Amino acid sequence: MSEEINTEQMDHRGNRRFIARPKFCQFCSEKNTKIDYKNADLLRRYITEEGKIRPRRQTGTCAKHQRQIAAAVKRARYIALLPYTSEPYQDIVR
Amino acid sequence: MRKYEIVIIANPDLDEESINGIVEKVSGWIKDSGGEIEKVDDWGKRRLAYRIQKQREGHYVLITANIEPSAMKEISNNLRFVESVLRSMITLVEE
Repeated sequence: MSEEINTEQMDHRGNRRFIARPKFCQFCSEKNTKIDYKNADLLRRYITEEGKIRPRRQTGTCAKHQRQIAAAVKRARYIALLPYTSEPYQDIVR
Repeated sequence: MRKYEIVIIANPDLDEESINGIVEKVSGWIKDSGGEIEKVDDWGKRRLAYRIQKQREGHYVLITANIEPSAMKEISNNLRFVESVLRSMITLVEE
């Protein structure tokens, strides 16, 4: 009974409550997966639906590889393999 | 000499011949500057993530070449004046 109340209080503490995810860097464990701006399908997993680069706390990527991903996403955006913004938003603007 | 990758997004309405023409033109610039082509990879038509010059599709060509770094500026400048090229990007390949 008392436990239930406690968990409820935790949920109301703020909407930015950190959800712990296992720290696991895909590129550290899979050495032969290269971060390449041409590999849009791989990079798509590291951007949000809106097209933003997902933070490290969501993906679990290590600092070194996060930097490489960010650079690759930006290159992929320039050659229109990845969107700068999400599709629905673009349709509203145009 | 360093290894570069050149991505060219050409107008999707061009036929195979004009695409080859663009590739040859770029190859010519590279060879003139003393570089050598390693590979030409034609990705074909692809949907663009966003519109470029009112186009929803683009014809992607990837050229891998060894080029003298000092010649790079001229090549990228020349590419801007090819009208049927929507966009191009030159990147250094890290070994």
